[in-house]
Amino acid sequence: MRELRPWLNLILQRRGRLVIGALLLLATLISGIALLALSGWFLTETALVGLLFAAGIQAYINLYVPGGGIRFFAVSRTVARYFERLYNHNTVLRLLTDIRVALFDQMAQAGHRDRGLQKGAQWLSRLTADVDALDTLYLRLVAPTALAAVVTLLVVLLVWLLLDLETALTALGFLATAFVMASWALYRRTQALSGELNDRHEHLRSDVIEHLEGFSELTAAGRIGKHAALLKRQSLALDKDQAVIETQAGWHLSAAQLLINLSAVFVLWSGFALFHKGAVSGPVLVMLPIVLLGLNEVYAMLPDAFGKLGATLAAARRLNKDVEPSAVQPVSPATSSTLIASDLTIGYPGNAPVMTHFSLTVQEGERLGIVGASGSGKSSLADTFARVTPALTGTLECPPCAYLTQSTVVFEDTLKTNLLLGNPNATDADLWRVLELVELAERFTRENEGLDTWLGSGGNRLSGGEARRLVLARVLLSNAPLVILDEPFTGVDTDTRKRITPLIDRWLEGRTVISLGHGPEALLPSDHVLHLN
Amino acid sequence: MDSSDPARVRRWLSGLTKSSQRWIRATVLAGVWVGLATIVQMALLAWLVYQGVIEHQPVASLTPAFLVLVAVLVLRALGQGLQTRFAARCSEEVRRDVRRQLHRKWQALGPVALADASAASLAREWLDHVEALHGYFARFLPQMMLSVIVPLMILAVVFWLDWLAGIFLVLSAPLIPLFMALVGMGAEKVNQQHFETVSRLSGQFLDKVRGLTTLQLFGQTAQASATLHQRSDQFRLITLKTLKIAFLSSAVLEFFASVAIAVIAIYIGFGLLGYISFGPSSELTLFSGLLILLLAPEFFQPLRTLSQHYHDRAAALGASAEILARLDQPASPTKTTGSSSTNDAAVIAIQRVSLCYDTGPEVIRNVTLTIKKGETIVLTGPSGGGKSSLLHMLAGFLQPVSGSISIFGKPAGEQPFGWLGQKGFWIQGSWADNLRMTSPDASDIAIERALHQVGLADLVEHREQGIYSKIGEDGQGLSGGQARRLSLARIFLADYDLVILDEPTAGLDATSEIHVLEALHKLSEAGKTVILSTHHQALMTLADRLLIVHDGEVKDA
Repeated sequence: MRELRPWLNLILQRRGRLVIGALLLLATLISGIALLALSGWFLTETALVGLLFAAGIQAYINLYVPGGGIRFFAVSRTVARYFERLYNHNTVLRLLTDIRVALFDQMAQAGHRDRGLQKGAQWLSRLTADVDALDTLYLRLVAPTALAAVVTLLVVLLVWLLLDLETALTALGFLATAFVMASWALYRRTQALSGELNDRHEHLRSDVIEHLEGFSELTAAGRIGKHAALLKRQSLALDKDQAVIETQAGWHLSAAQLLINLSAVFVLWSGFALFHKGAVSGPVLVMLPIVLLGLNEVYAMLPDAFGKLGATLAAARRLNKDVEPSAVQPVSPATSSTLIASDLTIGYPGNAPVMTHFSLTVQEGERLGIVGASGSGKSSLADTFARVTPALTGTLECPPCAYLTQSTVVFEDTLKTNLLLGNPNATDADLWRVLELVELAERFTRENEGLDTWLGSGGNRLSGGEARRLVLARVLLSNAPLVILDEPFTGVDTDTRKRITPLIDRWLEGRTVISLGHGPEALLPSDHVLHLN
Repeated sequence: MDSSDPARVRRWLSGLTKSSQRWIRATVLAGVWVGLATIVQMALLAWLVYQGVIEHQPVASLTPAFLVLVAVLVLRALGQGLQTRFAARCSEEVRRDVRRQLHRKWQALGPVALADASAASLAREWLDHVEALHGYFARFLPQMMLSVIVPLMILAVVFWLDWLAGIFLVLSAPLIPLFMALVGMGAEKVNQQHFETVSRLSGQFLDKVRGLTTLQLFGQTAQASATLHQRSDQFRLITLKTLKIAFLSSAVLEFFASVAIAVIAIYIGFGLLGYISFGPSSELTLFSGLLILLLAPEFFQPLRTLSQHYHDRAAALGASAEILARLDQPASPTKTTGSSSTNDAAVIAIQRVSLCYDTGPEVIRNVTLTIKKGETIVLTGPSGGGKSSLLHMLAGFLQPVSGSISIFGKPAGEQPFGWLGQKGFWIQGSWADNLRMTSPDASDIAIERALHQVGLADLVEHREQGIYSKIGEDGQGLSGGQARRLSLARIFLADYDLVILDEPTAGLDATSEIHVLEALHKLSEAGKTVILSTHHQALMTLADRLLIVHDGEVKDA
């Protein structure tokens, strides 16, 4: 359960809202229970008085208080329920934000992610699922559990006050067992299966994606049906295990509700004895079992959350790992104006190094080109210079740099926001100037919104070449003394590249530039070119 | 045939019910059982109260009734457990069916059309959307029937006890369809709104996480975090506006249920006091009165449960719409088996073949070509000239609009052959797993030999587990060139007669290029029929016959 602590702490920061939300929930439940209990009390009272009337005996009955109470609870149940839903939904949406913002902040602080360990898209889809799992933590797990405990204790207290301690304690025994049945016992039983289900699901997802990626080859080889059968079998096994958890949750709930019902029957039975002794009145005796039956509704909320708790914990565990400060910590920016690398070993911790004994000096204002085939380690080298990954050994002095990574990252935001990342102080005129440079100005003057044009998900309103030129413009906006460009012209057609290369060269005049590419034509004009093997 | 037509989506969804009818029926039956047990339980409770409080029966004489009550409770719990057990199985068949349908569709679409959709979204359809159907069949559908049956059973009992109280409930009965519609509309709105908010929020979050390195490089993470926060708050406020209205509909149901209980309680109370001089109320006793009261909330309970399950329906409908859209995607015409006029097993015969996509212009125009077994054919020509289309037709991935193709006397794609596209593919697993994808019975030695043929042997040799070591364990995965060579290794291993390759060296690094070239040479030497397209001069030297594909026509170079 330790893995949940950071998330529970996060949720508890909204303590005020949680308490009010829980009180509204409590009010809803109590109104519902009170409506029935008071009605039961009222019926019994009227039945007894009615018998007296029928026997011609004078009797007094106060109709106003119980009648008013019944009407009050009927209305309060509705009103409390409405506001409870609205209020708690608001809370859930706030928590949704809290969790995502906190997670993002922690990931940002944790340093750069080790790359290449997971396929990006799959890691993201897993991350989404895990965050979603935590969204329901409060409303489905924390609130109902706390509520069930509080209401149970209140009910037991009521039994003690109105009947006696012995009955109350026995009822508590029934209810406590029911509580454990619906929560802890179910969690223990489903924990392992529920925890692994998610992993298996994601595993199956990557299998399906592989199946699709290899569709041509598998079809050609006549193996597509066989491979699909394998996937279908896995899905079916997953479905079956899911059914197992649902079934277990169902049995635990029915056992818990059986115990609640038995407690009601027990209180009635034990109450009869007291009633015959005159220790308790008929209406009160009738009221108590009805109150106990009302607990069924509270407990019904528990099994679903506890059946999934194993999965929730697994999700929390993975997220905790994601925000663990990585071994890769950004080093404090150096002030050197010359790039001096001596005897570097480059690579990822725990893996075979990509490059060893690498030494290099780049003078201020120098233009260096680095050419290497894919897999030759040039991106790892660029990552090291930009301090995305630290060198495993050796020393590196490096001025602050602007780094165009090999992958093109366009944010789902306006053109302006995307560009300003490079230099938050740039004016609109600066932005237009750099857009002009990469030949995007005309394209965006045609848009009605100009700089405020919304770039859709992943920048999908841009072609590959346009997106590349956009992120290039972003890097060019930066004033950093060193500029590292990894494959600056991916997806940019040859004519455009030839036109903009000299312009960029002039724009970067006086600054140190390292450009990397698979061939000399992919680079900026360079003083000298380094070939990696 | 519009897949976004809600009525059609609903029809499709309910059409899936057939295969699971058995489980759904069992679920409903168990639900009815629980309903009956509940009625008996309440009747016994009311009877016991009546006997104890009004008739002053000693506890001892009530013991048998208490025991019966306990037995009924156990039976009710059994029914409840069985209900969820049956419900859990309700969609197993459905999910299996839909997955089968989807896969059949994928096969009908073929690799070419399939490559247009993203693998991630196809996988989402196959996994998540299919899973989203579960709640509808397991919870919503059975509950829908139960919310008619159980209230009717209760109504019958209440009528028998006191018809006036029954009328109170009946008065709300015509309202039930109205409730259902109200609740449905509300729940659908809530679900939709909530889903939208969460997905927009997730979108914003993922967008930032995806670009985290970029944000870090520019030192803009704090700014991004603030934006995320602010956007989320905007979403929240918009959502809440809708929810304010949407929640009203379920409040109406809640209100009617509460008021009905209150009215019945007060009516019975006054009846018991003898204040009501008309109707059946003079016959009311504590037994019948209390029973009616205890049954009143049970009358509304199935509906309230249904409203909780409404989001299952909405989720299933949303998922169905997307699945249906995929199933509706037009596939190329079905294979025209047997139409080949040549049955010569020694040649590949292409006769007057034409191809166009949808209603576009012809990309292949009336091509006739005969390729002898064992020949190496190289197609070249400008991009967009039709090389890939021709290869896809030879592979059977695309069907010609007219004309016929016969591969060694059989229709295209019928016999296994080697295919190498511009992207090699590998699965998470060992080298052996990867090669056994297409040749499951290959021996370890054969696998090592195949890896050697494509120059990948040194990646394996130094590993402790040899061909059983995992690919990508070093955190690097495979480069594009290595992946393509891995695919070539599969071709060597499987020993196909025909190998088709679409630009096998495009974008490769020098090392991989040499290995691919060598490998193709070996295949050609081994007497395989090799057909490939390329712009690469070195590959053209392999050709027994060099063909230029230009503007949909094929000419000898």
